[in-house]
Amino acid sequence: MSALFAIARKDLRQRLRDKSAFVLFLLAPIVVAGLMGLAFSNINLHAKVGVVDLDGGPAAAGLSQVLGSPELSDTVTLRGYPTAEAARSAVDAGDIDAAVVVPAGFTAALAGGGTPPSPTVLDDVDHALAAQLVRGVTESYVAQINADRLSVQTALAAGVPAASTTELAARAAQLHAPERIEARGLTDDPLKTVSYFAPGMGIFFVFFMVGFGARSYFTEQQQGTLDRISAAPIGSGTVLLGKSLSTFVYSLVSLGTVTTVSWLVFGARWADPFGVAVLCAAMAVAVVCLTTLVTVLARTERQAEGIASIIVFALALLGGNFVYASASPPALRRLALFTPNGWALRGFTDLGTGIGGWSAVAAPLAGIAVFSAATAVLTLVLLRLRRPA
Amino acid sequence: MTDSSNDGELLECAGLVRRFGERTAVDGVSFEIAPGETYGLIGPNGAGKTTTIRMVCGLLHADEGSVRIAGQTVSTAADPAKKLIGYVPQDIALYPDLTVRENLRFFGRLYRLRGRALERRVDAVLDLVDLTERARDRVDSLSGGMRRRLNIGAALVHSPSLLVLDEPTVGVDPQSRHAILGSVHRFGEEGMAVLYTTHYMEEAERLCDRIGIIDHGRMIAEGTQRELVATVAERDRVLLTASGELAKYVSECRLLDRVDRVDVGGDHGDTVQILVRDARSLLPELLDLAHRVDVRIRGVEIVEPDLEAVFLHLTGTALRE
Repeated sequence: MSALFAIARKDLRQRLRDKSAFVLFLLAPIVVAGLMGLAFSNINLHAKVGVVDLDGGPAAAGLSQVLGSPELSDTVTLRGYPTAEAARSAVDAGDIDAAVVVPAGFTAALAGGGTPPSPTVLDDVDHALAAQLVRGVTESYVAQINADRLSVQTALAAGVPAASTTELAARAAQLHAPERIEARGLTDDPLKTVSYFAPGMGIFFVFFMVGFGARSYFTEQQQGTLDRISAAPIGSGTVLLGKSLSTFVYSLVSLGTVTTVSWLVFGARWADPFGVAVLCAAMAVAVVCLTTLVTVLARTERQAEGIASIIVFALALLGGNFVYASASPPALRRLALFTPNGWALRGFTDLGTGIGGWSAVAAPLAGIAVFSAATAVLTLVLLRLRRPA
Repeated sequence: MTDSSNDGELLECAGLVRRFGERTAVDGVSFEIAPGETYGLIGPNGAGKTTTIRMVCGLLHADEGSVRIAGQTVSTAADPAKKLIGYVPQDIALYPDLTVRENLRFFGRLYRLRGRALERRVDAVLDLVDLTERARDRVDSLSGGMRRRLNIGAALVHSPSLLVLDEPTVGVDPQSRHAILGSVHRFGEEGMAVLYTTHYMEEAERLCDRIGIIDHGRMIAEGTQRELVATVAERDRVLLTASGELAKYVSECRLLDRVDRVDVGGDHGDTVQILVRDARSLLPELLDLAHRVDVRIRGVEIVEPDLEAVFLHLTGTALRE
């Protein structure tokens, strides 16, 4: 045991002295997570929207009313333009973010029961979000009109006298389509960006420990210190175990530092510190298992580097370290269940939305444990297949 | 495993065989070393010295045969016998990013030394290798010679009974080489058994109580320097630095009566080594022969019987670096 601790201690000392390791495992994840948190958390949309009313009828005026309604007053500032060309110029010049053009004959076509010409949204590549907002409001307004027209047509077809059309239309207009959707999830707390991406980046950078740890084994082999250690009265697996212990400690410290700094400095929130600690520890174990596997799989330092790189990026892409797991395609979400980081990030997501205790971490822990056990078994099989020296 | 039949030998290697695929690197090598004895294992590169040493240190298992230290069998597992060995690899095997003291502490801990006992041993070794002043410096800031000394020191922290040195002077400057040889000589005097491999004959001649000559994985001769030199009797080595048709000259030399062995060696492949009886009387004939086959002689040296002559006599080839 003392040789095991001596090897772990020596490895940790070497890593602490290695500035690149310090940057990679402590500084980089904190900085990247902080930048992502800043980039995503302060989205304060206010759109300057131009309106071109070429119709002049009540239907066009209704759209202007909706865009200028008190509910949107914090989000939208309206400006009128006489022509579509003037609005286009204003958009291109950056005076406004987007514009909507209501074509002539829009109201008349609606009143006559024909097909009205479609309103047009003028957008700009630099203000895609504002254009999306205008398009959404316009589509919603047109959908409401279509619903009104359909209900009047249905009533007329059912035998209501045509003289009542105006009254029917007025009554249909009173019945608004649902204006908002209420989300009823497990909790009411929204997931903060930094609460997801801080552990995401922490795990991504800790994955580099896999290559780092495996390479250190081959470095020792090259510089002859591995032989020197093996000449001492120590067990055959002591070197691997000692190195694994240092990898575990370093991974745990790295993830612990990233989550703590994200909590204290960047405002990340998780419901349960115990859950966070347990997930960090479980990920550190997974990293140890992967490191040992790569060490056993590779024959040279270069091979170890290559295999580790493939594993790191594959796991990070599949597990959702770069994009929210919920935003991934279904197939990718299923594949994430085969990765330890995918499971860990599910746990961090639950903790970030206010779920605490074992209900947040039990399933992720089981997922990570299965992955780690499978990796360990594969490592042992490979070790046995290797002929002893 | 302890064997009571141990006759006071510290190291006993019996019938060591090691194969790598089809190639037999070590083929039935046996030798013993007594406490306080310095034993030289000499042979050219690729002769099997390092493979033998790796089996002795438990870094490689023997396909056949056994290694015993103080009666205990050595294997690749965590044997107590390994505690008795101090292994000095050929290349500098230290951690460049750790200090001198940290390196020594680490290797001491592997042998279960700790606390004050460890610090005492580290201090003693620092003193021994003359690095006390540099104890807090990182290894990568040391000179090559200092690293060489520390490389040996790291094998001494746990006070081994047997010090195994694998060609410790390869690529070393003359001053450091002299210091290393002096240290090894001192270890032997202090009662430590030393197994020393080299392909420099003069090192073996200077240091070793007994010498084993190994070639192509086999032990071809063993004994004290005097015993080994006696096997070449009155034979001298004539070293001719020459240019021209050397191959033809060598084959013509072999036809001469008193010529035992001939081989071409040297750094530039321009030295003809001839093992002869009574070199002085044969020399005119050798020079005349050179003239006849258009070989130009640029230097002549006659060397009294030595280990190099023994090696040439036994193998028919010069011991090359």
